[in-house]
Amino acid sequence: MNDVHNELTSLFREVLENDDIVLTNETTANDIDEWDSINHIYLVVEIEKHFGIKFTSAQILEWKNVGEMLEAIKEKKQ
Amino acid sequence: MLFNSIEFFLFLPIVFCLYWFVINKNLKFQNFLLLLASYVFYGWWDWRFLSLILVSTVVDYFVGLQIHKEENTKKRKRWLWLSMGFNLSLLGFFKYFNFFITSFIDAFNSVGYEMDYFSLSIILPVGISFYTFQTMSYSLDISKRRLEPTKDFVAFATFVAFFPQLVAGPIERASNLLPQFFNKRKFTYETAVDGGRQMLWGLFKKIVIADNCAPYVNTIFENYADQSSGTLILGVVVFAFQIYADFSGYTDIAIGVAKLFGFDFKRNFNYPYFSVNISDFWKRWHISLSSWLNDYVFTPLAVDLRNYKKHGIFAAVFTTFLLSGLWHGAGWNFIVWGGLHGLFYIPIIFSKKRFTAISTNKGAKNTSSLKDLHKMVFTFAMVCLTYIFFRAQSLSHAIDYITRIFKGLFTSNLFDIALPNIVLLGLIPLLILCEWIQRNEEHGLSISKINVPIARGCIYTFLFVLILLFGASPAPFIYFQF
Repeated sequence: MNDVHNELTSLFREVLENDDIVLTNETTANDIDEWDSINHIYLVVEIEKHFGIKFTSAQILEWKNVGEMLEAIKEKKQ
Repeated sequence: MLFNSIEFFLFLPIVFCLYWFVINKNLKFQNFLLLLASYVFYGWWDWRFLSLILVSTVVDYFVGLQIHKEENTKKRKRWLWLSMGFNLSLLGFFKYFNFFITSFIDAFNSVGYEMDYFSLSIILPVGISFYTFQTMSYSLDISKRRLEPTKDFVAFATFVAFFPQLVAGPIERASNLLPQFFNKRKFTYETAVDGGRQMLWGLFKKIVIADNCAPYVNTIFENYADQSSGTLILGVVVFAFQIYADFSGYTDIAIGVAKLFGFDFKRNFNYPYFSVNISDFWKRWHISLSSWLNDYVFTPLAVDLRNYKKHGIFAAVFTTFLLSGLWHGAGWNFIVWGGLHGLFYIPIIFSKKRFTAISTNKGAKNTSSLKDLHKMVFTFAMVCLTYIFFRAQSLSHAIDYITRIFKGLFTSNLFDIALPNIVLLGLIPLLILCEWIQRNEEHGLSISKINVPIARGCIYTFLFVLILLFGASPAPFIYFQF
């Protein structure tokens, strides 16, 4: 399951154009300067494309941190 | 009650002493005192409208508990709509009723139907745009399971009506402010002194800068037809400093007062005129409103529209800014003001190059540097252009004003400028210089790093002298009208 974590990290690095990004389950938008609300939408689009999944809008709005994003991705992939 | 009034300077020490020296042992009493003080503070202006705050408080208190209890998604939504419907109706009636009626009649008349104008004489209750947004965010957060509702009615009512931020923000979120009512507040000398400094800085900005800019700006906007292009441009630039000093001054006093009572408000301004692009500006100007709109309007919209890629994002940004305009006032000039800010995002959204805001509100250091001066000046100029719509009495007033600026550019009167008085010419650069030096600090008078007490004393004395010498007579804060 660490694969998903690594893939998500490289997506973050690509979309936010910052190779120093390290994600933990507790990471939130407050911890990463480039992660603003517009870039958040680009991130969601790339995540859905990369993993071939589709979230509901309500689900996306409930994420509080990276851990919850990872959970949602894993759940959808199953 | 105004922060810059004599009443407040009697009110504040009384509440402060009762709070820290008489009932400091009992948290519930302290909360009750703050609630009572907040209602007195508001009632001083007009006690009748206290009933609106109280009803809004009761509605969201119960709705919050119901949403949390309800497992059925549809029923949860229904409760949420009750809160939204109630708060938006309050706002709609008191703030927008006449605007919608006259716009509606104009639309009818323009297609040939004759309708007579009518409107109601409605007084706008001070602060209504601020506290309704605060209570709505409470119910919205509970419905998204981001927040647990409280059963303590007094604490909740105090959260809604807390006097430092009741009438003009910062629009606090329950997740930040509400828990503070349940924790024992500790009096620390450093925090209290810092609060006092922030209040002094806010008073200086309001009484000395903003209130001295006001007469000059008023004269130019009222008699714009008689002014040269250069004067009209300077009029807007001075207005930019007036509104900034007025509103951020208010915010500084609010945050400072909260510190005196052991409360920590979120930051509302982060040196916005040092922004390098418009997105950066909105991360630094009236942060509590822009983050509210970001969380409850922009993000849900943009998530729904995400399949349309950049066009979807632009549509969400543009809609958010139109609403932001409407929030500021019931007038087409405010809607155009918001629309322009939305349009300014086009290069940010559609260009290949990434525009990273150099500073964010995330605790990172504010790395503004003089290398970016041209970007700062350009961003400031764009913001000033929108201010013409913000300050004008109406849309046609704003368009006339801009037309006169451009017509004059090609005649000889560009450099024929009616300057403001010499005091103002000195004070505005002083403000810019102080803010530039302090740009990594929380506020302009955050000077605990200066270890020499005499040096700090000199700075305080200097500000007091400026207030005594140049302080204008107390005038209401601009944001009270929103």
